[in-house]
Amino acid sequence: MKKIVDARGLEPPQPFELAMDTLADLPKGESMTLLLDRMPYPLFRILDRDGYKYENRIRDDGVVEIDILNP
Amino acid sequence: MIPDGQTLSYDAAPAFSTPLRFFLTAPLFGAAAGATLLAAPELLDSRWTPGALAVTHLMTVGFMLTVMLGAMFQVLPVVAGAVIPRSGPIAAIVHLAMTIGALCLAWGLGSSAHGFLMPATVLLGGGLAIFVAAAFLGLRRIPVAQATPRDMRIALIGFTIAIALGMALGLTLSNGLALPLLVVLKLHIGWALLGGAGVLLAAASWVVVPMFQITPNYPAPLTRFWALGTGAVLVLWSATVYGELGTAEFALSAALAVLCVAFAVSTLKLQRQSRRSVPDMTTRAFQLGMGSFIAGLACVLVAHHSDHQAWPILAGILVLHGGFVSVIVGMLYKIVPFLAWLHLTQDVGKAPNMKKLQPDAPIRRHLGVHASALAALLLAALAGNPWLIRLAGALVTAEFIFLFANIVKVLGNYRRAHAT
Repeated sequence: MKKIVDARGLEPPQPFELAMDTLADLPKGESMTLLLDRMPYPLFRILDRDGYKYENRIRDDGVVEIDILNP
Repeated sequence: MIPDGQTLSYDAAPAFSTPLRFFLTAPLFGAAAGATLLAAPELLDSRWTPGALAVTHLMTVGFMLTVMLGAMFQVLPVVAGAVIPRSGPIAAIVHLAMTIGALCLAWGLGSSAHGFLMPATVLLGGGLAIFVAAAFLGLRRIPVAQATPRDMRIALIGFTIAIALGMALGLTLSNGLALPLLVVLKLHIGWALLGGAGVLLAAASWVVVPMFQITPNYPAPLTRFWALGTGAVLVLWSATVYGELGTAEFALSAALAVLCVAFAVSTLKLQRQSRRSVPDMTTRAFQLGMGSFIAGLACVLVAHHSDHQAWPILAGILVLHGGFVSVIVGMLYKIVPFLAWLHLTQDVGKAPNMKKLQPDAPIRRHLGVHASALAALLLAALAGNPWLIRLAGALVTAEFIFLFANIVKVLGNYRRAHAT
């Protein structure tokens, strides 16, 4: 089952730290969904650098969803 | 994903030094403003004394605009995903031009050596033009639907108009350009403080307040229409100022004040809904700032109908020192340690807790001195006592040295963590 990490309502850098901690335990070939209050542009840079694949969308209620795959 | 046609590569992220050079220079201008007040207390006799003009521009151009430019180099990529091309060299050029330009401007105005106003005009105008062009290039692919980047565009337009008007004033004083000085001056103040700084403050607040103060988001109608509405009313106000339509001008000034109070009250309301059990120092700084804005705007409106010299001076102190400086300092204490943390995470993979990079105690001490300086400035403006003005000058100098030292401490903690 895909892991869902809810990092809404936290003060920076806690959402970033939570995402990085979860990514560190994410096995190859598996993915996770990250829920945030806003677009995490600095996180995208780290994901690009470290070779993760990701997609994001903004839900109607304003929540940002990011699917991250460890290829 | 990232907006079409724009890559947000790791290498494109601004280096820590890009905004930091602005953040380290700005407090020195604030300290210079305080030192000027300490050395020449008679400058508070009127807002038109050469010394008062110099202190005002040390604070507005030297401190406020410098921090705002540095913050935009970093906030645009972090918050909006907008990458300013070649941000390192451009930041170096803009910083140099703005720093020397601000010094020339303050010296030219303060010593009535109007020969310095021409280089100030060229350097400040040129530096800001380069920044605005680079920022618009960075923002060109960012959807206008996003409130913060859209309103930052409006603020950039506001700053451009303010600087153009400032250049016209500089040319009027240095080269005898035939312009209605008081009309251009009023327009310059309106566009600089509201069209530029005020709109930028709001654009940053839409993100910074909910993010760092753990509040709900601002009401959608406010983020959607506030900056656009303020810009539109400012245009109408400018027409009444130019046409010297006194009654209409006062009505539109009152409308602008209502818009500003709506923003300030909305911010204070959100802070009351924060999920923090105890307000942190940034929240306190914002509360002081919003309260000062409201009081300052009341003084602006009273000054319209009173010839007493004190009202415009009180308005200036409340809006600039109580309002903008408080809020900017509050934001700096979140932005600088966050950037240190972010760059450590990107560079070495792990970073100490942000509280270790920027502990609360020195911030509390600094804000205590800042609030005391504000109180002393207000008392000094009312009493006109030279020793009280000197005390206020000393406190303003001390508060900006405190700010500089606290930023340097974060940098020291960053370097130590980077080396281990």
